[in-house]
Amino acid sequence: MGERARREQRAEPRGLHLVGEEVYADWEAVYRDNVGRIHKLMYAKVGNRPDAEDLTTEVFLTALKPLRVTATIGEVRSYLLATARTVLADYWRRTLGREVTTLDEELGISTPEPASGDPSAPARAAAILAALPERYRRILELRFLGACSIREAAAELGITIGNAKVLQHRALRQAAAVAEGMLS
Amino acid sequence: MNTPVWRYVEDLLRQRKPRPFKASEEEAAEVRAAILLNSADDDGEPSEDFVEGLRDRLAGELSGEKPGSNRRRFVKIGAAAAAATAVGAGLDHVLTDGLTAAAPKEQNLVPDNGEWRAVVASTDLPDGAVQAFDLGAVTGFLRRSGGQVSAVSAICTHLGCRLRLDAPARQLNCPCHRTSFNVDGSLSTHELPVAPPPLPHILVRENAGRVEVFVPPPA
Repeated sequence: MGERARREQRAEPRGLHLVGEEVYADWEAVYRDNVGRIHKLMYAKVGNRPDAEDLTTEVFLTALKPLRVTATIGEVRSYLLATARTVLADYWRRTLGREVTTLDEELGISTPEPASGDPSAPARAAAILAALPERYRRILELRFLGACSIREAAAELGITIGNAKVLQHRALRQAAAVAEGMLS
Repeated sequence: MNTPVWRYVEDLLRQRKPRPFKASEEEAAEVRAAILLNSADDDGEPSEDFVEGLRDRLAGELSGEKPGSNRRRFVKIGAAAAAATAVGAGLDHVLTDGLTAAAPKEQNLVPDNGEWRAVVASTDLPDGAVQAFDLGAVTGFLRRSGGQVSAVSAICTHLGCRLRLDAPARQLNCPCHRTSFNVDGSLSTHELPVAPPPLPHILVRENAGRVEVFVPPPA
């Protein structure tokens, strides 16, 4: 990469558009450019921040030491993604004993203008909700999008807490079935 | 209703670390749906606290440096008198012109409030020998060549990893990025985009049969 590009990369490590054969200035440039993306990917795959933070930490602790700073930006991103896939698979093996979610290779972390997080997640969630019966959709909207407690959701729907729990459980099962159907 | 999968989903909703359980295929699908719904209105942008905290942790891991080290009390003085610049300016010069410019000048590490500390008996450093020393704030390698004693810093000038002595090869190797220096502090080999500067020299003298280095006083 040219002298000019090298200087720009140092001057503005956060907002830089990185392409082709360019390399990172140092480990911190690698970190700054990728930490947000890795965390978003992990959050979309585990659904809670404490675990997303732990897994992001694990990715960087694992990947950064053996990293050659001479590798191109594309190579570094592919390597980080490969590490993230392994870390996520280990996480599911440890916690639920099944690979609940995976990081798809074609997710685009190695492309010059990668999408952040999983761009289709909100659209998929909306499509799943739309496919559910009214009461199932309502309870899931109240709990997941409206941040209601089970008590608040029950009051909103005019049912007992016990019934709200059963309703949520059934709604999630149905949502899971819809989601599986959308994948296949 | 307090099944493991119910608790798992409630933990997700509260942004708590969910408790592990052995999930059936059906339960795994339920968790998957809950994760999708839970991340639908949050793109998962990490908090600034997390980003800065992990950055500091990585910096520590990569340099092997203990927090509170007083290595910073050193000032770097260029070998040429005119080059008594701030560290930042010197570093910028190296980064900007490293590819084309001549090798950067050697520097000396001189504490602004130092004292002479004995590290080894003169007789224990025969001609041709190289020996590591560690005074906490300062680690380095002593060398006697042609009767003269000299000392260089044991900290890689790239990212601050501690160098290891390969005595047979007479080289100081960085465990982090395969950089190596000669025992006189000059750069031997590296695979970095920009050549790191040579190792700074540490002031050294022989006094009353002992080799002494000029270092900061103990904290």
